[in-house]
Amino acid sequence: MTDPETILIEVLRWHPDTPEAPWWQSYEVPYRADATLLEALQTIKDDLDGTLTFRWSCRMAICGSCGCMVNGRPELSCHLLLRDLAPGPVRLEPLAHFPVIRDLVIDQQDFLDKLPAVGAYLVPAEETEAAAAAPAAPSRQTPAQMADYYQYAQCINCLLCYSACPQYGLKPDFLGPAALALMARHDADSRDHGQAGRRAARDADTGVWDCTLVGHCTEVCPQGVDPARAINRNKTASARDYVFDLLLPGRRR
Amino acid sequence: MTPLPTWQRGMRGWWRRDPAFRRYLLREATSVAIGAYALMLLAGLGCLVAGPAAWQRWEGLILSPVGLLLQAVVFAAAVIHAVSWFRLMPLTIPPLGRPGRRLADGAIHAGAWAASALCSLGLLGWLVYGA
Ligand code: SF4
Ligand code: FES
Repeated sequence: MTDPETILIEVLRWHPDTPEAPWWQSYEVPYRADATLLEALQTIKDDLDGTLTFRWSCRMAICGSCGCMVNGRPELSCHLLLRDLAPGPVRLEPLAHFPVIRDLVIDQQDFLDKLPAVGAYLVPAEETEAAAAAPAAPSRQTPAQMADYYQYAQCINCLLCYSACPQYGLKPDFLGPAALALMARHDADSRDHGQAGRRAARDADTGVWDCTLVGHCTEVCPQGVDPARAINRNKTASARDYVFDLLLPGRRR
Repeated sequence: MTPLPTWQRGMRGWWRRDPAFRRYLLREATSVAIGAYALMLLAGLGCLVAGPAAWQRWEGLILSPVGLLLQAVVFAAAVIHAVSWFRLMPLTIPPLGRPGRRLADGAIHAGAWAASALCSLGLLGWLVYGA
């Protein structure tokens, strides 16, 4: 099979000046077997249509900026090769479930607002009441203990998982896969003492119980984070704490 | 700062957007079929208590072509239910074992299937040889 000369890329476009009229626009882009989809978008911007707007930065699947829907599935455009998409057409849309600012650029503010709620930082022992009196000691961790959370710590905040989650689309208050995976990442860290502080967000009706284990978040995550596992394991912890609180009122005091 | 004007797309027909969403809905729907089957068995129990005539009517219903077809559907639903439930099981239980020696997903799957096979065989054995 000889390589095609060009590949057809269709982009769902939206411009705030004509808000009522999103439109599909097609581009015939020169085909190169070793080019990524992001490079094709850059070719469009440089040579064909300078008005097309999209985000990118690292070009190597680590900054998490270039997410978009590719033939209906959330993907990093720098992580896909044209040769795997040929002969096309390739249909691009902005990441699902997020408000669109322009063309392929979405507004990720909602996610940024949710991050503080999940307590995505280590709480050292010194900050807990019990240890306040004891002198600070280094927090040591074995590789085995690190393995318990390492996978959850690989998130690049690309938001593909949010676009794969109909629960988030239907109920935008839901803290969602990446934020709850970050919560689990810190809960599972042997150096952390902040679980109690994350409980309220975990147990709230926007927390883990909003997840119905559709599981598509895990399938689309480019980093192997497995947010579905992170969330559903925290359901067990949530249920356990609920039962113990019922049986032993005041056990936390 | 005034917020930027944005375009919010709706969720109408969201299950049509990805086969993964339809697989999820199918998985959830199987519990309805299994619930209905439980009700059918409960009705049978009621008929057994009500007397021989009622019992025979119930037996006639479940052995009719329509009854058998429905049971075939329920059986298929139960298989999908079990397969998907066991597949998701490692995601829903806390990590087992000690750090560094965590039980692998494969071991949990195998354990779940072994336990389920044991229960099914035990029940079958009791039905055939026991009682
Ligand atoms: S969990 Fe995965 S898909 Fe979700 S934001 Fe993080 S890296 Fe992206
Ligand atoms: S450009 Fe950085 S992840 Fe694609």
